[in-house]
Amino acid sequence: MNTISRQESNVKVRTLTMRDAIIEALSEEMERDPSTVLFGEDVGKFGGVFGATKGLHEKFGPRVFDTPIAETTIVAAALGMAITGNVRPIPELQFGDFVGVAFDEVFHKLGKWRWMHGGQMEIPVTLRLPIGIAGGAGPEHSQSPQALFMHGPGLQIVVPSTPYDAKGLLKTAIRENNPVLYFEHKVLYDMKGEVPEGEYLIPLGKADIKREGKDVTIIATALQVHTALDAAKTLAKQGVEAEVIDPRTLAPLDMDTILDSVKKTGRVLIVHEEPKTGGSGAEIAARISEHALFDLLAPIKRIGSPDVPIAQSIYLEQFYRPSEQQILDVVNELMEY
Amino acid sequence: MAKIYQKETNVKNYSKDFLLQFYRTMIKIRRFDEGLIQLIQDGKVSGFYHSGIGSEGLSAGSITHNLTEDDYIYYNHRGCNQKIAKGVPLSKLYGDFLGTIEGTTKGLGAGIVHSADPSRGVMGQAGTIGSQLGICVGTAFASKFKGTDQVTVVYFGDGAASREPLHGSLNWAGLYKLPVVYICENNEYAISSHVSETHSVKEHIADWAEGYGIPNYVVDGNDVVLMHEAMKEAVDRARKGEGPTFIEAKTFRHRGHFEGDPYDYVDANVLKEWKEKRDPIKNFQASLLEAGVCTENEIASIQEQVDVEIEAAIKKAEDAPMPSPERIFEGLFA
Repeated sequence: MNTISRQESNVKVRTLTMRDAIIEALSEEMERDPSTVLFGEDVGKFGGVFGATKGLHEKFGPRVFDTPIAETTIVAAALGMAITGNVRPIPELQFGDFVGVAFDEVFHKLGKWRWMHGGQMEIPVTLRLPIGIAGGAGPEHSQSPQALFMHGPGLQIVVPSTPYDAKGLLKTAIRENNPVLYFEHKVLYDMKGEVPEGEYLIPLGKADIKREGKDVTIIATALQVHTALDAAKTLAKQGVEAEVIDPRTLAPLDMDTILDSVKKTGRVLIVHEEPKTGGSGAEIAARISEHALFDLLAPIKRIGSPDVPIAQSIYLEQFYRPSEQQILDVVNELMEY
Repeated sequence: MAKIYQKETNVKNYSKDFLLQFYRTMIKIRRFDEGLIQLIQDGKVSGFYHSGIGSEGLSAGSITHNLTEDDYIYYNHRGCNQKIAKGVPLSKLYGDFLGTIEGTTKGLGAGIVHSADPSRGVMGQAGTIGSQLGICVGTAFASKFKGTDQVTVVYFGDGAASREPLHGSLNWAGLYKLPVVYICENNEYAISSHVSETHSVKEHIADWAEGYGIPNYVVDGNDVVLMHEAMKEAVDRARKGEGPTFIEAKTFRHRGHFEGDPYDYVDANVLKEWKEKRDPIKNFQASLLEAGVCTENEIASIQEQVDVEIEAAIKKAEDAPMPSPERIFEGLFA
């Protein structure tokens, strides 16, 4: 539960979009730490193609700057800045898919540079990557590549689903002295949620139980947290109480919260927008089977997008994203056991 | 087209101490390399070593009197030459090869690549050859951002120059006027491929820099004093905030790409010519003696001192223990 906003009644709570929550986090941290710099394609005077850096160039001047279209250099330069100890870079890749262009820099360099060189340097880099199917962007502007990096030592992976989480996690990520890949689902930019006024941080590696329930555990990330919560409401009407868990960070992964829930419910469904094969759900399912196989009443189920490229067609696109109906069908199947 | 860097470099115009520092550095690099090859032949170190013998003048000339410990370098795949010139203790370099805890990686082991000494501005190197070209612009940006006059020097071979990051890097460095000096160590071969088979250039690799508006020249990298002079201009430009410079330094490797490489893809006569007539140490030594800067005895004395230093460094590195197996789990995160 979002404990801070609910328990501290004296804190004023506003309703913000996730975009505004992200801008607020960036602005607060850049104000707090003059060594922070933010850069990427069109992030300056234009404010980012998704508007997620709007107003920051006006506020922070040359500390927020536009770069050439050069993802390889954007990430490499961030590393080169960070290891001097004099700059805390917050680079952006315009679309998360473009991480493919900078794969060497993210996979081999950001995550491994410190270790490879004997632990002598620190890498305080927060790389922001917009992800997800969002209105006909096609096969190379719609993907959710975060699971690839669960296989890369040294990288921390954040995937927020609400404005509250987005702000608290981003502030923590920026203060981290280790690299963080911060994946923002593009559909969530306009989604509104409660964000308290004033300072708060959310630790990396702490899952959030978005809804409590005793019958089935649904583990979901990014936009799918909301699909899962919608499904949980429908299920409640049928007398099935679903617990919805958002890991919030895939690395570190809070298996304690997940396993506690699995032990309670005995039934697990993992939902994400990434392709099912090799998605983050595969790792989570494997860990559950390693640690809680005999607490299970039914096989672990996963819903992901199909293992084919994402079509440009807006009509076809809707069939990739896991739907509430798919979740209902699988949960009903799980309840048969 | 890139200009060939030329300048009158009579050794009589420099102090004896100044010149002997070049000599000592070059001897240290060569003796270190020979010591390492012995360790490889003794089966103590793997053959994944890229000998820098024959190119010592390029590193000694560019670093010894131009850079301080505060300046940053990214070394190349024959980078022990640059690390030694930048002052990384020899025992630590041997320790990385031997995998003992004396190494800069404290036992993780490193070939040429992955040893680092941030206290001396040696910021490491990428195993994916040429990736340092992207990283170096960030480091140079940091100096500009902080308002220091630190220079970032990035070394890379002709082979690495063909990789994509060079072009992203030159564009940024030129665009943001970053204090970077690019040193392309052109020894003509990327493993077995000759530069003429792999690079589309007008005449020189340095010509590429011209298109980015970056001052550039080609220099004889085996002439240590000439290399020093060319580098001095580039470093001055960077310190004054006038942006990057691209230096293509011509050299040739005396040995194969790795120890065990038959090295039969080069023309034996060409190799002989470089070894006999263009050896940077041999030629510099001859010019020192000819100009009467120092005596044969002084030369011999420097060589003996370096030999003692090398022997002690190997002993220190070999005597240090291997790490515990838990070492691999340390230091992934700060």
